[in-house]
Amino acid sequence: MGNLDMLSLTAYALQVLLIIMAVSIVVHKNNGTIIILITTFSLITASLYVINKAPDVAIAEVAIGSAIIPLIYVISISRQREFIVLDKAMDDFIIADNAFTGVGYVLLKRFTDFYHLELNICNDVRLCSLGAGRDQLLCEQTNVDLIVSKDDERNVYVLKGKASSILTYKLEAMARDYDNIEVVKFKDRDFGD
Amino acid sequence: MIKQFVLIGLLAILFAVFFVSMQDIQELYNTFGKDYIAASGFADTGSRNLVTAILLDYRLFDSLFEAGILLIAVSGVIWISKHEIEEKNAQFMLDKFNTPDLFVTFSRLVYPLMLAFGFYVIINGHVSPGGGFQGGAIVATAILILYYIDADKETNIGLIVTIEKILYIAILLVASLSIVTRGEFFTNFFALDASADTKAIYLVLLNVMIGMKVALGLWTIFTAFLKEGR
Repeated sequence: MGNLDMLSLTAYALQVLLIIMAVSIVVHKNNGTIIILITTFSLITASLYVINKAPDVAIAEVAIGSAIIPLIYVISISRQREFIVLDKAMDDFIIADNAFTGVGYVLLKRFTDFYHLELNICNDVRLCSLGAGRDQLLCEQTNVDLIVSKDDERNVYVLKGKASSILTYKLEAMARDYDNIEVVKFKDRDFGD
Repeated sequence: MIKQFVLIGLLAILFAVFFVSMQDIQELYNTFGKDYIAASGFADTGSRNLVTAILLDYRLFDSLFEAGILLIAVSGVIWISKHEIEEKNAQFMLDKFNTPDLFVTFSRLVYPLMLAFGFYVIINGHVSPGGGFQGGAIVATAILILYYIDADKETNIGLIVTIEKILYIAILLVASLSIVTRGEFFTNFFALDASADTKAIYLVLLNVMIGMKVALGLWTIFTAFLKEGR
């Protein structure tokens, strides 16, 4: 041991722990675990700053790295896991016999379970009252992933989604078995600049 | 495969260069700056925390641009999350923000303490570790906890950003006030031979302004993220 005192031993142990944390952040697959690991990484870094006599940086690291960034990640990831469907048809396509047993619901549920997403069906009055011509704008500007509407002339349910999403292609393949369901893909437009 | 080998080779070269440059660090290493600031930092700036002495007096020019970068980042986040359709925050049928009751109760207990600690760190920035940026981040975290207590809280982003911009201009004005009194930009506007307590007025003023600006900026970023998903 010799000239190694307790503080530098702790510093070495923390540095080894830091490398383990960095590797496990890359290796882990579960998003919730990764957020906790990032938080732990920041806390270890902050302790190292304190050991190296930089308390100002340590306070900033704790506040930013282990409070604000995890909060932002938690919000973003909890939003990402949802697959939001706007139901404009409002008939027995989704809800049949006062329960989620409609043809469309079964299809969408099978689809979202395949990708481990949470199905979120909404029929907000203000969004539904927008005309069919603004469907593409609706998909681009809000977080709605899919729009369900009914074509009364042909008696076909139309599902509209973005062409840029791989999910839409998978849904199209799954809906091929159904006669009365049609999937329409929006072409991506340049907008914003 | 070739790409990976090239990458590994580049990393090896980088490590070798780093290792060679670390060999003569003893010659490059000197303590002139450290000794000067340790000897005359308190007398020059009136700040016991020498980090704040550098941030708010010796190198205020750098700190101002740092604050400006945060403002630019906030503007970018707002610009990206801007949408044309008004009904963005539509209440979805199944989209209820479920927060556990225990977490809500605990947040209510912790919230005032966090806020008080944030203000403590801001106001004592020239005495103890901390300062405007760190305290502002703590205050912002305290405000963010409010969203867990009440998920439907409405925030006027435009107003917050406007206040932040006005604060930034005010910081610039306070920082360049020294051209009138001392004849040089971006330093303390009190005379160099003023007492430490007098100089502390300037440090506390600038710390409070930077802290408020940082807190508002982080609050805006978080609100933009929160609204994006609803």
